[in-house]
Amino acid sequence: MTKFETFLYNILESRKKRWIVIGLVLASLMGSVMMIPTKLVLAKMLPGKSANTFSIYIDTATNASIKETREVAECVVHELEKEPEVTDMEIFLGQGAPLDYAGLVKGSAFKRFQNQSEIVVNLTDKHHRDEPSFKMVHRIRPRIQKACGNIHPHTSIKFIEMPSGPPTLATIVVEVYAKNDKELRHVAERVSQILADTEGLVDVDVMLDDIYDTYMLSPNKEKIIRSGLSVDQVNQIIYLAFKGMPVAVKNTKDQQDQVPIFVRLDNDARIIHGKNKEALEQKLSNLRLMNRRGMMVPLIEVVEIKKRNSSPSIFRKDLKNMAIITAECDMVSQVYPLLDAREKMLEMMKDEYNITKTPGISTFMFDLNAVDKKTGEKVLIRWDGEMKVSLDTFRDLGGAFIAALILMFLLMVVYYKSFSLSGIVLAGSFLSIIGVIVGHWITDKISLYFGDINFFLTATSLIGFISLMGISARGSLLLIDFSRSLMKDEGMAKNRAIALATATRAKPILMTAVAIILGSLLLSTDPIFGGLGIALIFGSIAATLVALFFIPVLMSNAKAMNPHEPTECEIEEEEKEGTWCILTNNIRSLIMRKKKSCDEE
Amino acid sequence: MFNVDIMAAMKEDYKIKNIAGHLSKIFLGNPLTPILAVAILLLGFVSLQTMPREEDPQIEVSGGAVVVAMPGASPKEILNVIVKPLERRIREIKGVEHIYGTAMNNFGVVNVQYFIGEDRESSNLKLYDKVMQNMDQLPKGTMPPLVKPFDIDIDIPVLTAAFYKLPNAKIDIVKLYKTIRELQQEINALDNVSKTTLKGVKRPQFNVLVDLNKLSAYHISLGQVAKAIKSISTNAPMIDTQNDKGKLVVFGVENAIDTVDDLRELIIAEYMGSPIYLKNIADVEYSYDIQNYQDALIDYQIGMSKHPEKIKKNEHRKKEDSDELESEVTFRPLTEQITMTVSKLKGTNAVFIAEEAIEKIQEAKEELHNAGVGFIITRNYGERADEAVNELVHHLEITIFIIMLILIPFLGWRESMVVTIAVPMILATTLFIAQLTDQTINRITLFAFLLSLGLIVDDAIIVIENIHRRLHLDIDKKSVDEIIVQATDEIGPSTNIATIAIILTMVPMAFVGGMMGQFMKPIPLNVPVGLAVSLFVAYVFAPFLARKFLNFKKIKKEVLAHHAHDDHSHNESEEKNDKGTDDSKGEEK
Repeated sequence: MTKFETFLYNILESRKKRWIVIGLVLASLMGSVMMIPTKLVLAKMLPGKSANTFSIYIDTATNASIKETREVAECVVHELEKEPEVTDMEIFLGQGAPLDYAGLVKGSAFKRFQNQSEIVVNLTDKHHRDEPSFKMVHRIRPRIQKACGNIHPHTSIKFIEMPSGPPTLATIVVEVYAKNDKELRHVAERVSQILADTEGLVDVDVMLDDIYDTYMLSPNKEKIIRSGLSVDQVNQIIYLAFKGMPVAVKNTKDQQDQVPIFVRLDNDARIIHGKNKEALEQKLSNLRLMNRRGMMVPLIEVVEIKKRNSSPSIFRKDLKNMAIITAECDMVSQVYPLLDAREKMLEMMKDEYNITKTPGISTFMFDLNAVDKKTGEKVLIRWDGEMKVSLDTFRDLGGAFIAALILMFLLMVVYYKSFSLSGIVLAGSFLSIIGVIVGHWITDKISLYFGDINFFLTATSLIGFISLMGISARGSLLLIDFSRSLMKDEGMAKNRAIALATATRAKPILMTAVAIILGSLLLSTDPIFGGLGIALIFGSIAATLVALFFIPVLMSNAKAMNPHEPTECEIEEEEKEGTWCILTNNIRSLIMRKKKSCDEE
Repeated sequence: MFNVDIMAAMKEDYKIKNIAGHLSKIFLGNPLTPILAVAILLLGFVSLQTMPREEDPQIEVSGGAVVVAMPGASPKEILNVIVKPLERRIREIKGVEHIYGTAMNNFGVVNVQYFIGEDRESSNLKLYDKVMQNMDQLPKGTMPPLVKPFDIDIDIPVLTAAFYKLPNAKIDIVKLYKTIRELQQEINALDNVSKTTLKGVKRPQFNVLVDLNKLSAYHISLGQVAKAIKSISTNAPMIDTQNDKGKLVVFGVENAIDTVDDLRELIIAEYMGSPIYLKNIADVEYSYDIQNYQDALIDYQIGMSKHPEKIKKNEHRKKEDSDELESEVTFRPLTEQITMTVSKLKGTNAVFIAEEAIEKIQEAKEELHNAGVGFIITRNYGERADEAVNELVHHLEITIFIIMLILIPFLGWRESMVVTIAVPMILATTLFIAQLTDQTINRITLFAFLLSLGLIVDDAIIVIENIHRRLHLDIDKKSVDEIIVQATDEIGPSTNIATIAIILTMVPMAFVGGMMGQFMKPIPLNVPVGLAVSLFVAYVFAPFLARKFLNFKKIKKEVLAHHAHDDHSHNESEEKNDKGTDDSKGEEK
């Protein structure tokens, strides 16, 4: 008898010691599960990854000119020139940069206005650079926003990193739904204020047009007709004079291109000095139109200039008017700032709104319903973005996990024809969660100590956990099978058989665990699949411990392990019962038949 | 013949109960087994080299945008007459997840997003169909609607390159455009390149900038100017007519404007008896489209055009005497540039396409340089995909090596060699199956492999471990082949059930929805296949390799020595051996 076998046998023989083992396991299970609500282990969808490139989106005020946008972009570029790791930058004014995965969902392809600009920043190779790109962004973001964000009002400078998983519009997206446009703007404004004040959130932006002054030239129809002009003519000439248009296209001898001929007033006549009604009036007074009688009529005579607010674009989602507020997380998980911001909203918006939480548990469970106290207008505040995707994914993965549990249980019941033995296998598998959670806690601490980066429990950790279930089931299976055959074939006492089986099978169990741990070592250094690696490493450690100590205790407690019950496959085989045996028999007979025919040939 | 011998021997004292034993017996002495093994490895290698590589897996996103323009309408008007009715109609399409409507000045856009995983072709068709069906309901004054489906493959370029004017070169932006356009043609002609675009382009244009004061002085209106230009630039087709002898005479009207001077000499009107030329009232020049504000600029470190590799690796910043890097670098001032983007066809290898396109650009390097044009490759997904794939393949190799090392103390180096050979065979088969099912090699596929690595070695380890154990128990009593088959057969049932259990845990992951589900798809697709293959390899090749590699003489010697020793000290292991043989006889019955 080896030392381990004796040790285990002693535990199995003593009722007290068995309970101590069970108690220890339950306590560590409770303890590790409690690490999640107490924020000892932080959850996040997908962590950041270091890349050789990132983008900067610049949005100036809706009525900003390309010149103003360019000034901001040049300022950003100038700041970035101080970074020696930047190799080159491409600035795209009034358009999006060549599309990438992030741009695909962030509407980069639809950018075409003067107030929009994108900058692509390429960095030195990540293998030859000490600072990961996400840390660099974290460092330069405040500096650049401070230096360039205030050149022109309403400027937003957003830093877009390469997504490590599927891209989303933004990490935090708040959708505000309301019928009334004014109400919508007001709530959106307040929400964005709250988000901006929340720690850990940056790049807060309201995706609504700014309202600014416009001037409407309203044609005086009577005057137009009496002076022999037409409204259509007035419209066209104003457009031609100030905006200009290609009036004709020419093929030339030199090149087979169609070369447009573009007509517009020259800069002296076109550019308005100052930004008020009088300046515009003065410009228009110089412009004359020719009427049908060949007389020149000054434009200003037939139109009236009115000052008016611009009409902002209307955004809708699923047939409802909506405003979107986006925010990014600055190297922190999105879960906790989101919950903070939500608490703040509940607290701070009480003055104007009756605000309530959405009842029930769904992936919309963070939504808030607000009712304006004065007007009774209903407003829905909905959380979307990465959080929604995370919740959906966690829900689906959770479902997958439960399905996996049920499938495994059924398989075990078919194999053992015993619920309690199947339960043991399943319990053994499930307990690897202790290792998964504790492993994340340890890694988080190590990662904080060395790199000042949090290590999060991510969707890939969950995948790791699911696959661990199957792996740890194998250990339990081997143990149960071997101890039962020892009892049956050699007539060993139950506890002795269990102890001997565990001691004998400890070697392959340890070996496969070591293989998994080493196999996952390199996995755990990857930003995205690190969670999976950590889950596999610490999960298999836990699973091995469980298989070597806890499973024997459970087996010793289980009545189904007793040798005389006719649950053994071999016994039933003789009676030609049991689906599993029939199944294997069928396969076997198939092969045998084939072999026979082979032999005959 | 040899086979028959084994079978005969087998039938006598051990009855094979599981498929595991049958498989191992069939392949154990078969001369085709090593050929099959080599073939599998070769197929895997070929797959690794030829499968399309990409960094991230394809996410099937279906959707599109419908753009309807209505000049002069306000957002509210657009909302009511265009966006709302269109949204309602699109709602009728099955499989639409979200509809985003935007009403702006002059036009409305409705973006349609289908559920992830909806078939793209039919989704596009459905959208187009729905819009076309309702063309009659469009209000007056609208332009025909534009339906633009998303296409990730075509829309996301794998390669971008910025072309710019070198410092001190005398080339203007229009000339730059013309130079690049030639190159664009050539790259577009490469195999599997789907689309190339140019960003930041300035197209040639005649600009007529009218001086309002002179206009008033000559008593001319702007409308007259426009009309005069329009009338002179029309093209007429060739005219053919018959002459008096019945012969055909063909003549045409030549273009009145050919150069910028022709345009300048254009007579607009007469004033006090003398003609007014266009040059009198306007500044006429041949340059670029000044109304286009979509500029592209570039700012780059000095040296990027000559030796980008050095800069990417931070080599130029190395100080001569120490390991530290220079903290400051110099940039060239902002210059105008044109970015060329290259996209690939679906299912083709980004690595090859990017390489070919870069080669084409490099070929033209001399020519471009002479013309005063420099270039920087600003995006290369091909290189990134290749790098990611190679890095992960390297990780796989390291991991296999580590596992082999760790098994040596447990099993001995010959046994661990068997496992080390089995692993690449499993991976090769899985990779080959992946290629047959039209998958690509990407980060997630390789992660699936790394993840499965820990799982797939198990079966081989358990088989080898049991062979190892059995050999040490029975080598003096039975033939080696018999022991190997028996050992494989013994662990068959529990290995089968455990592997099936792991496969079952992986399968539900295939049903995870949304982007994340699509992103992770290679895991539930490949891990179960890998596991199933690992069972097969463990039963077929592990016993075969064990028979080839293990040093049976040495084991026999060891066992005999051990037994001799045991006879004196304690009899436990002996007893166990006896029981072991009893087992097999008892089972045989």
